[in-house]
Amino acid sequence: MNPPSAENIYLPRVAVLDRVEDNIPDVKTFYWRFENPADQRAFRGFHPGQFVQVTIAGVGEFPASLPPSPTEDQIFFTIRQVGGCTAALHRLRPGDKIAVRGPYGNGFPMEQYQGKNLVFVAGGIGLIPLRSCIVYAIAHRSNYGRIAIFHGAKTPKELMYRDVLAACQQTPGVECHLTVDRGDNGWEGNVGVVSSLFKKPGVAMPVENTVAFVCGPPVMFRFVIRDLLAMGLTERDIISTLERYMKCGVGKCGHCCIGVAYICVDGPVFTYEQIKRLGEDI
Amino acid sequence: MKARILDSVDVLKIVDLLSEQGYEVVAPFHREGQDSYFDVVTPANRHAVRIHLPNPLYPPKRFIFPHIERLMTFRQVNGDLQIQATHEEPRRAIFGIRSCDLAGIGHLDRYFLGREFRDTYYEKRRRHALLINVVCSDPQRDVGDDCFCVCADTGPAAREHFDLQLMDLGRGEFMAVAGSPAGQALFQSPIFRKAKPAHVERRRAILAEVRKRFKTHTSWFSAAVRYLSQDKVTERTWEEIGNRCMECGGCTYVCPACTCFTVSDRPIGDGQTERVRIWDSCALAGFTRMAGGFNPRRAVHDRRNRRFFRKLAHYFVQRELSMACVGCGRCVTVCHGNIGMPSVVEMLRRTTAGVQEHEPAIR
Repeated sequence: MNPPSAENIYLPRVAVLDRVEDNIPDVKTFYWRFENPADQRAFRGFHPGQFVQVTIAGVGEFPASLPPSPTEDQIFFTIRQVGGCTAALHRLRPGDKIAVRGPYGNGFPMEQYQGKNLVFVAGGIGLIPLRSCIVYAIAHRSNYGRIAIFHGAKTPKELMYRDVLAACQQTPGVECHLTVDRGDNGWEGNVGVVSSLFKKPGVAMPVENTVAFVCGPPVMFRFVIRDLLAMGLTERDIISTLERYMKCGVGKCGHCCIGVAYICVDGPVFTYEQIKRLGEDI
Repeated sequence: MKARILDSVDVLKIVDLLSEQGYEVVAPFHREGQDSYFDVVTPANRHAVRIHLPNPLYPPKRFIFPHIERLMTFRQVNGDLQIQATHEEPRRAIFGIRSCDLAGIGHLDRYFLGREFRDTYYEKRRRHALLINVVCSDPQRDVGDDCFCVCADTGPAAREHFDLQLMDLGRGEFMAVAGSPAGQALFQSPIFRKAKPAHVERRRAILAEVRKRFKTHTSWFSAAVRYLSQDKVTERTWEEIGNRCMECGGCTYVCPACTCFTVSDRPIGDGQTERVRIWDSCALAGFTRMAGGFNPRRAVHDRRNRRFFRKLAHYFVQRELSMACVGCGRCVTVCHGNIGMPSVVEMLRRTTAGVQEHEPAIR
């Protein structure tokens, strides 16, 4: 047998909540830092698209994507309240302790995409994992071609990260388009599904030498993929991040295994070409 | 590998030797009929340890990968969060582990200690585990109706993963084979003597005879692995298999090669909580259900498909260097729907190969 490994792969490190921010209904952003500065330094090397396992002491552990880019100073996650653990997290206040381990997973191959145009298509909280890539790409603006961001939500008040998207739009060569399923009184923007934006007048969607990052609910995913393929993108140019029920995050518990892949270690980021081969619902 | 001979009457002295060396020894015991079990050997039950008996339904896997295992405790004091990892590193010997179960542990080794993350808890339990294999040499008492290790190529005599292997050669003699330095160190005891070529010949003859006495010898894995890996198994076949699954999870709990677990946090009093991992089963509907209710694997046949794909697909065989089936036959014994591994292998083969269509037509 090999020599023993020094590190306990299941042991999370204590972290402190610094700030809690309301985003949209049921969704909050939690800014945190590791209690031990050495843990904080070690964590800085994460890649866009990686995830962490978050422990709420006494309740449980859940996987959470990392919306910050490694180019940003603060570390945080944005969490929708859906189950027991996330509800417990939503009850926490600044100063409360959590525990985190990671980062895990492969992340998006941002370096491999240098020189390409980037298209981001996000439905609802699907923007959370893509936020990291968007901010990263803008921070390395000269490495990428044109950038187009398409974000759709059910209603205007469910659009995510409005401030980040507004800032993106001020960057040369970056365009950002929003849409909602149902408008409200103040909404003057587009109404319709997110893929309806692609061919609207005034939208210059890059297709040549382009990679499309797609994340959102399954039904959106299907239609967006269909449209992107029809526009000429190949299956390899479409990339997404999957979520599955996960207990360990390190390829041992078996819950996230689909096809020949363990989502936690072989993913969560896959091209559409790979996703099709996994053979399960998105 | 070095071999020695010892008298049958001395075999259980190996248990005593291990106890003297500070090992907690677990060994198989037999009540009656098919009722057998592994338990810790004590002075009170030492005389009842059995060599020839039906292999217990609850595999000895649990001594290295327990059914429920505490990982850590959490304590919150004055706003502080303290996390304490709880390890157990027992010095334990499993005496009488059969070749199939040994192959299961070999599979677990490669799974839990392979790839980029090494499972800390498994590693600590495995480190000091000593494995004393007993070869199934008595077709009457050792080989059950459902055993099919001959198809999985794991038995009746293991070729690896043991520290010491024992085999009854009849005529009051056992052969001991050392598989590791720790096993070979036991040969210092005066109970062992040199083996002769005739002993090796007897071993070979007995094994050749035992191999013929297996009742299940048609679990043709190569066909199943090929069809599964080529994605040739029809949805209809999976539905047929799924329709026979009662979703009890029994097959996964008795499997020496199953590894899935869930993790649960629970209060242990005094303001503390513990995090435990508990064996989980891909047969159960909640296995893939996410918070919010979305379940990508809806129908039962999706889940059966998953189990057999995970165990047999060429990709995983290549990665883990073995199928995740060791041919112990326990899933056959516990399954109410008769979809233990050999039945499934046969269903995959017959339906996918289109056996009927390929029969010669006589006109």
